[in-house]
Amino acid sequence: MRESVVRTAGLAGTVLYGAAIVWMYAAQPQTVAEVTGGLTSTIGAYRIDQQAFEDGLAFFRRDQFEEARAALSRADPAGRDTLTQFYIAYTCYRQGWGRVYNDDALFKNGLQAVDRAIALAPDHRLVVDDPNLGMRTADELRAELQRGLTRDASDFNPLRLIRPRR
Amino acid sequence: MSPLREAFALPCLFLTVALLGGLRLGGDVRLVPPPLVALVLALLLTGSLVRSGVFTPERLLNQRRTGIENACGTVVLLALFGASAQIFNLLTPDSGLLHVLVSVFFLVQLLTTLTAVRDRIAMLRSLAVLLGCAFFLRFIALESLYAPGRGVIKRVMTALMEGITLGALDYVPTGGATGYVAFLTLTLYLIGLVLMPTGRDNAASTAVLWQPAEPDELHGDLPALRRE
Repeated sequence: MRESVVRTAGLAGTVLYGAAIVWMYAAQPQTVAEVTGGLTSTIGAYRIDQQAFEDGLAFFRRDQFEEARAALSRADPAGRDTLTQFYIAYTCYRQGWGRVYNDDALFKNGLQAVDRAIALAPDHRLVVDDPNLGMRTADELRAELQRGLTRDASDFNPLRLIRPRR
Repeated sequence: MSPLREAFALPCLFLTVALLGGLRLGGDVRLVPPPLVALVLALLLTGSLVRSGVFTPERLLNQRRTGIENACGTVVLLALFGASAQIFNLLTPDSGLLHVLVSVFFLVQLLTTLTAVRDRIAMLRSLAVLLGCAFFLRFIALESLYAPGRGVIKRVMTALMEGITLGALDYVPTGGATGYVAFLTLTLYLIGLVLMPTGRDNAASTAVLWQPAEPDELHGDLPALRRE
């Protein structure tokens, strides 16, 4: 009886360990926070730091984008929360946006963040009900960031100078 | 073999080897899955281990064991295979001509071992030497030769080698910390092999596996031998 309990426990532990290894090879986490966050999110136990998220949101609404990104990154160190990643992408967009040219590095970071948000969202669909935002879906934000990184003839359209930031 | 060793120690050891075998600690952290050639080499190595008696598969899987015992045995075998593949992944340079050369070296060496070595201790010694040499070649010789900020002589040597091979002999250093992880991984793998069950370490279990035929079956009509 005792032997079968030991074997069953060992088997269960081994299967869990093996699954964690397979997940790590698939997800390629870069930090310990990403490892623990990824593993806890697979069992639905991942929680962001709500206070840091609220701080980040407050900074975002005051157009303090560097501060907002720092707070939002602290709130979601594993990059596993859809909404936080969406707002991180939005800070990149608003800070990197320019009438004449955009900051490509920030737009690339924003694109990565919004891609993470879309990948994590249920059915890959994310709608954010925030009246302060010009774009309330992750798809719109992604398209805008993508457009900002693309070089084409429309870049030379003088009407670009009067377009609004969203 | 105790259930603790079979259900916990061996799978844990081999899965840790499988995890660390692909770990590369350079500028960023990478987990490299085993290439196809590593799986072939792992298969050959597992065959060599069985033929030389480093472990006896019947001790892990047979019809007299219960379902849960056979499941544990299967997990140990799968973990051993995964660990073996990752050991070759660890010791073989990731790309280029060196990857091909070292893979072919392993292939030839394992085929020779498969056909020649029949003794458990000899096999373990031979494997330790083979893996140790490969470790030295990759993590000491090549890492030192291709390390960033190397001296003029080393730069001239590597430039000459790359020139002679028309640029095919290229090597990307993995970073110093990877060597330490590789040493630990190799040690864990060899410890795991030593702990694998053999046909000799448990007389009772072996006796159950090997059931002698009845005297009449052996001698036919001849009178059976008597024991005093």
